[in-house]
Amino acid sequence: MTNTSHASAARRRQSTLVPNLIVIVLFAALLLFFIVPVIWLLLAPTKTANELIHDNPLSFGSLANLGAAWRHLITFQDHALLVWLRNSAVYSIGALVVTLATSIPAGYALALTKFRGRKTLLVITLVVMIMPTATLVLPIFLELNQFGLIGTIWSVILPFSFYPFGVYLVYIYFATTLPREILAAARIDGCSEWQLFTRIALPLAKPVAALVAFFSFVGNWNNFFLPYLVLPNSDQFPIQVGLNQLLSSTPSFNPVAGAGLNITSPELALAIIIAIVPVLVLFLFSQRALVSGMLAGATKG
Amino acid sequence: MKSPESAKPGMRRLVSRSAFALLSLSAATVLAGCASATQSTPTASPSAAFKPAAQTAGSQITVWADSTRLPAVQQYQKSHPDVKMNIVTYDGSANGSTYLQTKVQLFDRTGNGWPDVVFGSPTDVTWASQPTSPSATAFAAPLDANLVPQQTLDGFAKGSLAPCQFNGHTYCLRNDIAQVVLWYNKTLMDKFGYQVPTTWEQYEALGEQVAKEHPGYLVGAVGDTNSQESYFWSSQCPAFQLEDPATLKVDLADGNCTRMATLLDKLIAAKAVTTQGFFSQGFAKDPGGSKVLMANGPSWYGQYLFNAAFKVPAGQIAAAAPLTWEGETTAATGNVGGGVWMVSSHSKNLKASTDLATWLTTSNDFQANAPTYPAYVPAAKAWLANPANSKYFATDISAVFEQAADLVWTGWSNTKFSDATAWSNVVLPALTQGKTLTETLPQWQTAITDEAKSVGYTIATK
Amino acid sequence: MTALNTGHEAVSSVTPVRRRATTRRRAGLAGYLFVSGYAILLLAFGIFPTVYAFFLALTNDRGQFTGLNQFIKVAQDYRFAPAFLNISLYLVMWLLSVVVLTVVVAIVLRSRMRPRLSAIFRFLYYLPGALAGVASVLVWLFMLDPAVSPVSWLLQSMGFADFAAVLSPGDLPVILVLIAFWTGAGGWIVVMYGALNNIPDEVLEAARTDGAGPWKTAWHIQIPMIRKWIAYMAILAFAGGTQLFVEPQMLQTASLGRVSPTWSPNQLAYVYAFQHGDFNGAAAISIFLLALGLICAALLVTRSDLFKVDES
Repeated sequence: MTNTSHASAARRRQSTLVPNLIVIVLFAALLLFFIVPVIWLLLAPTKTANELIHDNPLSFGSLANLGAAWRHLITFQDHALLVWLRNSAVYSIGALVVTLATSIPAGYALALTKFRGRKTLLVITLVVMIMPTATLVLPIFLELNQFGLIGTIWSVILPFSFYPFGVYLVYIYFATTLPREILAAARIDGCSEWQLFTRIALPLAKPVAALVAFFSFVGNWNNFFLPYLVLPNSDQFPIQVGLNQLLSSTPSFNPVAGAGLNITSPELALAIIIAIVPVLVLFLFSQRALVSGMLAGATKG
Repeated sequence: MKSPESAKPGMRRLVSRSAFALLSLSAATVLAGCASATQSTPTASPSAAFKPAAQTAGSQITVWADSTRLPAVQQYQKSHPDVKMNIVTYDGSANGSTYLQTKVQLFDRTGNGWPDVVFGSPTDVTWASQPTSPSATAFAAPLDANLVPQQTLDGFAKGSLAPCQFNGHTYCLRNDIAQVVLWYNKTLMDKFGYQVPTTWEQYEALGEQVAKEHPGYLVGAVGDTNSQESYFWSSQCPAFQLEDPATLKVDLADGNCTRMATLLDKLIAAKAVTTQGFFSQGFAKDPGGSKVLMANGPSWYGQYLFNAAFKVPAGQIAAAAPLTWEGETTAATGNVGGGVWMVSSHSKNLKASTDLATWLTTSNDFQANAPTYPAYVPAAKAWLANPANSKYFATDISAVFEQAADLVWTGWSNTKFSDATAWSNVVLPALTQGKTLTETLPQWQTAITDEAKSVGYTIATK
Repeated sequence: MTALNTGHEAVSSVTPVRRRATTRRRAGLAGYLFVSGYAILLLAFGIFPTVYAFFLALTNDRGQFTGLNQFIKVAQDYRFAPAFLNISLYLVMWLLSVVVLTVVVAIVLRSRMRPRLSAIFRFLYYLPGALAGVASVLVWLFMLDPAVSPVSWLLQSMGFADFAAVLSPGDLPVILVLIAFWTGAGGWIVVMYGALNNIPDEVLEAARTDGAGPWKTAWHIQIPMIRKWIAYMAILAFAGGTQLFVEPQMLQTASLGRVSPTWSPNQLAYVYAFQHGDFNGAAAISIFLLALGLICAALLVTRSDLFKVDES
């Protein structure tokens, strides 16, 4: 018995050597592909615009340059950057709350309750997700105007809260991990639907809730077009629209712009880094919630 | 688990229903003679008088400016504290952005929200001078209808208000012009012992001489997104010539176009003119600004190309008058850029709005220190007198700038579409692949006419 | 999973019919209540705009019914055919790379790597995903220019002398797939990883004791169990691919106009809507794209039982 198992183990080791090598090479290549541009971006604010072009792309400039870039950025249009960041936080967090409050019950119901129109709702959601947004913005604008919401934060938060992608995530999650038998048994034991949801489904939903929260927040944080069109005042803009404003004030893209504005490529790079920090922090936090899903699955039965 | 088979009848029903819908639609289209799909093009009738909205004296005005013009608006607010202003910044229609056009369309649909004063590009005036839909009013107010005195309008450089003029009215005030002049590095020219050319033929000869004696030095670049304005506009090539507001003449086979194409081809082949753009990142590194002997480009090249981008030391760069062609007595030159200020026809405080727009374009307080050359002649004089604008140069550029400002050819019209699109994505890639300008002219012609037709122009037949 | 079923099935078969009927009706009512919040948002921001878009595509700007004329008009636009050709080339490469690579990477991260290392890799692969649209313009302006890029050796070895050469029209589909993959793959890897996480460890243990190697486990057990997730990703990746807008638009800005402003059909729809002011034409183009996305969705939904749930 031991001889054959040794032999088979050795054969298994040999047969997995080449695939393992391929995997290692693939991962290393992918890592470089994903990371080198980001490293460049992180090093960019430490150089001046001139150094960005002439020096080694991955060289470190100086902290003094970083300080100068920071100063230029903060004073642009009277601290507009900070205002934009605050706006983004308000819109994204506000929409996140509404999204979670609507998507999780909806996904649960679509997966685990039977009601007429369940499949229709799924189909409609899918169709709406696939519809290109170029023409959707006009009717949304008209709608918001009809209800007098233009100029308020709800003109951004409400459309942001509509997150069919999240509903589908919750639906697929509940459909694949929660056996209906448990719910059926609990129903027979006299639990109300609400109790089923709060006592059984919700505790198990933490990983998918973290996933939905994360993607919703990031999607809304990065959303450019809707706020761009719907917000009338520049001090209501979120950071993405603000970045566009910075871009059109950078000589690299608009040669005559920026006289006295001091916004060049390093300042733009710094603004971009500041804009993505919240997303990355949230990613790190939600990763932990994601991993806990492993344990949740094991406690079934 | 139910089998996938059960989904099939559902899918089949969906497919058959959609097919049925499609068939009935096609039948309806053919048989019922459905309405045409083309957009309606409402044109403001020239005789219709401008009817302002109900005015409320002293009401707040909303001003849309770009980041570069924002300090000017803030300066006005400080010196006129009694004027109530809501200042909003946006991209100023830079880089082909259609933000202003889009927002005005949306406001036209909802009936409110228009800004009172906006800074935009000349392309914006092409749609702002006409209603966006049959039930709307044109966004831009005709400033010559008792809003801005004719004397003020006459004070702008010759032809600088042409992009603002439609149907006999002036719809905007020109903030700055970017007249094309011949820039050269005086230090290098003296070192090499060259004479500054006065005709295009001399320019060509000089280029070929430079390529032989000092290879690597450049007398021009065609790879920028607006190089055609520096070269072909200066040559009076009828590439964008509006015969009337709805008919566009595009004739790249005209002698004025082919002469420039031939000249540039010779210089590109000799490597005296590069197919790279001056503003591409790669250019700043290699060959770099120190290799630029000459550049036929707009007035702002001085500060923003040679000083800011190339970091050429002060006292080296000078400008010469636009070139003529042998046999012609007057030169013509091109124009690369220039912003405009518009006043909204829906404004409830036209007085404050026009006062602001007039101040921004004509007052020396702002324009003398502006980053760009003012279109208003007295303000331009103040700009030239400002040492900050001229101390960088080797010679006095005032005479050249003023002369060139009046030489901008008015035959290159302000069209509803940008003149850069066809050049950037048809001509430049062809040049990168090694084709000559002359053989690319037919392609360029097709690209321009296709784009013109798609926005509603009729192409003039010879 | 099978061990859990048998006990409860036995119980439910004994329950009186009337009780089952009331519990089912209760479940139905509760279902409506649970989806109500989402349904309102769906109606306001999904259904109404989509129906309005259909209405726009069938009328002109004076409100008259035009039948299929809007569709015919946009199809005859000189930019329509090139845009759809571009997007087709793009879609083939995009779908292959995103579906295959993200699943492979997620499987390796889940099964073949220590959790902490796997978490680090997931974070690093995700990083570019945070750089949306405008934020990535600057990055790609520098990455693709052989003069200033950190990977200039790679670009020059591929024969690109300068930025203009990199953006020659023939290479654009590949470059756009690369950029879209760079920003999009990280997020999908996280989703696939989460999906793989929900496969109970007992199943994988059972497979291992049965003698299945890691690749056999992946092919025969893990991938079939996350079939719904893969289908979902494929549908959205395809639909997202047809709606490609941000990447070519961003390249157009970065290249100062060298890339066509109507490279993809969605860009053409935007030009119609926001430059010509022709919302009707834009709606027609959008519906062409919707049809394309729906065909793929329909195929994938039927083959993967995306809408099927366990029904007792």
